[in-house]
Amino acid sequence: MSNPGPESPVVLSLRGVSKAFGAVHALRDVSFDCVAGEIHALVGENGSGKSTLLGIASGFVRPDAGGVEIGGRRLRRASPAQARRLGLGIAYQTYSHVEELSVAENLYLAVPHDVQPAYGRMNEWAEAKLADFNVSVPVSAPAGSLSLAERQLLEVVKALLARPKVLLLDEPTTALGPEDVERLHALVHEQSRAGVAIAYVSHRLPEILGIADRITVLRDGVGQGTHDAADVSEDDIVAMMIGRPLAVAFPERRRPSADADVLLEVSGLAGERFGPVDLLVRRGELLGIAGAEGNGQVPFLRALAGIERSAGGAVCDGTALDTSSPLGPLRAGVVLLSGDRRGEALFPVLSVRANATVQVLRRLARLGVVGRSRERGAIDELVRRLRVRMSSGEQPISSLSGGNQQKVSLMRPFLRGDVKVILAEEPTQGVDVGARFDIYEALRAKADEGVAIVVKSSDPLELAGLCDRVIVMSRGRIVEEIAADALSERRIVEAIVGLPAARVGGSVA
Amino acid sequence: MKRGLLPPALMTVLILALGAYAAASQSAFLGRSNLNSLLLEAMPLVLVSMGQATALLVGGFDVSVAALMTMCVVTASFTLTPGMSTAALFPGALAVVGVGVATGTFNALLIRVFRLPSIIATLGTLSVLEGASLLLRSYPTGTINTDVTSTLTDGVSFVPLAFVGVVVLALAADAWLYQSSGGLAFRAVGLDATSSRRLGRSTGRVVVLAFVVCSVFAALAGFYLAAEVQIGSPIVGNEALESIAAAVLGGASLAGGKGSYVGTLLAAFFLTEINNILPLFQQPTEYADMAIGVLILLALALYQAPELASRARAARRKVRGIPSTVG
Repeated sequence: MSNPGPESPVVLSLRGVSKAFGAVHALRDVSFDCVAGEIHALVGENGSGKSTLLGIASGFVRPDAGGVEIGGRRLRRASPAQARRLGLGIAYQTYSHVEELSVAENLYLAVPHDVQPAYGRMNEWAEAKLADFNVSVPVSAPAGSLSLAERQLLEVVKALLARPKVLLLDEPTTALGPEDVERLHALVHEQSRAGVAIAYVSHRLPEILGIADRITVLRDGVGQGTHDAADVSEDDIVAMMIGRPLAVAFPERRRPSADADVLLEVSGLAGERFGPVDLLVRRGELLGIAGAEGNGQVPFLRALAGIERSAGGAVCDGTALDTSSPLGPLRAGVVLLSGDRRGEALFPVLSVRANATVQVLRRLARLGVVGRSRERGAIDELVRRLRVRMSSGEQPISSLSGGNQQKVSLMRPFLRGDVKVILAEEPTQGVDVGARFDIYEALRAKADEGVAIVVKSSDPLELAGLCDRVIVMSRGRIVEEIAADALSERRIVEAIVGLPAARVGGSVA
Repeated sequence: MKRGLLPPALMTVLILALGAYAAASQSAFLGRSNLNSLLLEAMPLVLVSMGQATALLVGGFDVSVAALMTMCVVTASFTLTPGMSTAALFPGALAVVGVGVATGTFNALLIRVFRLPSIIATLGTLSVLEGASLLLRSYPTGTINTDVTSTLTDGVSFVPLAFVGVVVLALAADAWLYQSSGGLAFRAVGLDATSSRRLGRSTGRVVVLAFVVCSVFAALAGFYLAAEVQIGSPIVGNEALESIAAAVLGGASLAGGKGSYVGTLLAAFFLTEINNILPLFQQPTEYADMAIGVLILLALALYQAPELASRARAARRKVRGIPSTVG
C-alpha cells in the first residue's frame, strides 16, 4: 500500500456539498478530500449518495450548496470539460464510450486537444497507449462490440490518458473476473505511487480493505466520517453503512411450508449482463433479490419477463416458459411490474380505470365492446382494498402520487386472477411511507393467495422486513441465499459487500 | 467507412441511369442550355440540404430552412435592388447572410437554453419567418438586382462556377468530417451526446455551431432561389422536407452522427434531375413527388440492410452471461 505523507497536497476537495432531487436529499453537507498518492475509498449502500458525490466532483451535477476544488483550483461551474481541464479523470460505471466509434476514436476524443496525435496516426497512437497500460483490445473495433470487461478496462485507460491529478473510479470491477480485478488494482497502485490521487467507489469491502488507504462512509446522503483503512474492520464499516431508522411496518409473514410446490423453476438462465442463474420459487413465497445496483438483478427479471434476450430455461407451473418475447410469460401468468413506471408500466395520459383494466379488456367486453360500468365495477373493490387515493377513476393516472400510481399497476395482477408469478422491480421506489405499507400488504395478500412473488429492491431494510427469503446477486450471479431465520438488514448488506455468512453469529456455513 | 460509401455510390448510379434514359429518348436533355439550367436549378436544394445534413449530424432537424430561404429572398428584394452601386451591394448581401446567422442563433438558443426538441423549436421559427415574409411582401414584388443574379449564375461553358464551388465545398466538408479531430467530435455528439459530454467534449458548442451553419447554408440557398425567381416573393421556399430527404438519401441517419456532404449533394442533384426531366416527357410534376417518396423508402431500406443483418447475426450469437465466477 502506498503511504502518502501528511504533507501531500489535497488534489480533490469537496466542501459541504448538498444536493436534492425534488423532495429527496441525495447529499447533505458532505465533505470529501483526496490527497496526492492516496487511494481513498467511498462506500455506502445503494442510494446513499455515492453517485451524486461523484457527479458533483466531475462537474456533471451542479450542487445546491458547497464547492469543489480540483488541484487547488475552484470548479466554477458544473462542466465535465472544465473538470477535466483542472486535472480530473473519471471512469464511469456505466461507461462513456460512443459505441459506434472505434476504440481508437474513443480514446482520441478523451484526451485534450494538445495531447491528441495527428488524426491519421490515431490507431498506432491508441495501440501504444493501450500497451502502456497492459490492456489489449482491438483498436479499430467499435467500442460497442467489446465485452463488458474490456469496456470497463478501456474506461479506466481512457480516464488515465489525460494524465489526471485525481482519478475517480466508479465501481470499476463490476464486470471483471478475478484476474482482471488484479490487473486493475496493479494499475491503480502504479498510478497512486506516481502521485495520482484516487477516489475509489465500490461496495465490495474485501476489495476496498485490500486497496484503500482511507475510507469514507456515506449513509442516506450524510457522511459517516473518514477513517484510516488500517483502523477499521469490515464490521465497523457495515455498522456505519446500515442503521437507518425503520419508518414503516411490514405485514406479518405467513411462512410458506417448505414442501409447497415449486411454481417457478429457473435453470441456467443467462443474458448479456447476468447469469447463469438457477432459482426455485415456491407457491405463496415472497422472494427478495438484493445486490448493488448494476449487478444483473434488473436484466435477470426482464429476461424472465421476456423483455431482454436470454438463453437457458425457466418452467412455470410445470410448463416451459417461452421467454423469447414478452407475450409468452404474460400468457403463462408471469407479470413484471417495471421499475420504470412512467416509461414502461403505465400510460401516463390514460385514466386510472384504463390503466388498471388494460390487460383484462377482453374479459370485460361484450361482443367486443368494453362497458364502462363493468370496468368500474371491476376496479371499485380493488380501489378500496388497496386504498388508492384519487378523486375519480377517470382522472389521468399521471395526476396521482407515485405511491397511488404503483397501486394502480398492482391492480392488474389482482384483476387478472390467473397470475402465477409477479416480478416486482423496486415496487416502492418514489413511494411515500404511508403508501408503502399498502403495497407491502397487497404483495403479501397476493402471495397468500398462492402466487409466487419476486421483489427486486435496492433497499435491504425493505427486503429484510417483507420477504420470506432473499437472494443476493453480484456480477450477474447469485452469490448468497439468506433464509427467513437469518434475514436482517445487516446480513443482506454484509452479503452485498462480500462478507461471508460464516462470520455471523458464529454459525459455520 | 465502406458502409458509408453506399449512399453516394447509389446516388451516382441513379443520376447516370436517369440521365442516360432521358438523353436516349429526348436529345434536348443533354443540350448545353438544359444542363446549365439543371445545375443552376439544383443549387438552392444542394445548399440547403448540406445545411440540413449538418443539423442531422448532431441529431437535430431544422424545418425552418425553407421559410428562411423565403425570408432571404424577401430581404434581398429590399437590400439588393436594381440600380444599386457595387459598393452598396456588399452590405446588402451581408444583410441576407445576417438574416441566416440570426435565425440560426435563435434556433440554437431555443434548443440549448430552453431545451426544446429541435423539430419543435424550428417549427416555431418557421411560422415566425413565414409571417414576417408576408408582412414585408404581401405579394411578389421588388425586383432583385440583375448584376447580383448574373454574377451568381456565371459559368464556364455550361457549368456554373457556383456548382464547382459547392462540389469543392462538399469534398472539403467530408474530409473535415471523417479526417479531422473536429469532425470526429461533431459526429460523436450526434451518435451519443451523454458519452460525448462525459468524454469532456463541449456538446453545447457543437449543437449551436451546427444550427448556425445550417441556417447560413439556407441563406446561401436563398441567394440562388433569389437568382431563380428574381423577385421578392413571400411564398417561394418549399424545400424543408426535400432537404431532409436529400440528406437522408445521401446517407444521413435521422438518429444523428452519420452523413455525407458529397452524398447529400448527389442526392439533392438527383431530386432536381427528376423534377427537371418530367416536363421533358410532358409528365405532370405530381409524379416527381411520388417517385421521390418511393425512392426514399427504397433507399432507406437498402441502407439499413447491412445494419439489420449484423443485428440478426448478433441475435443468433449465444448469450452466456458474465464469464467469471467470483464472490
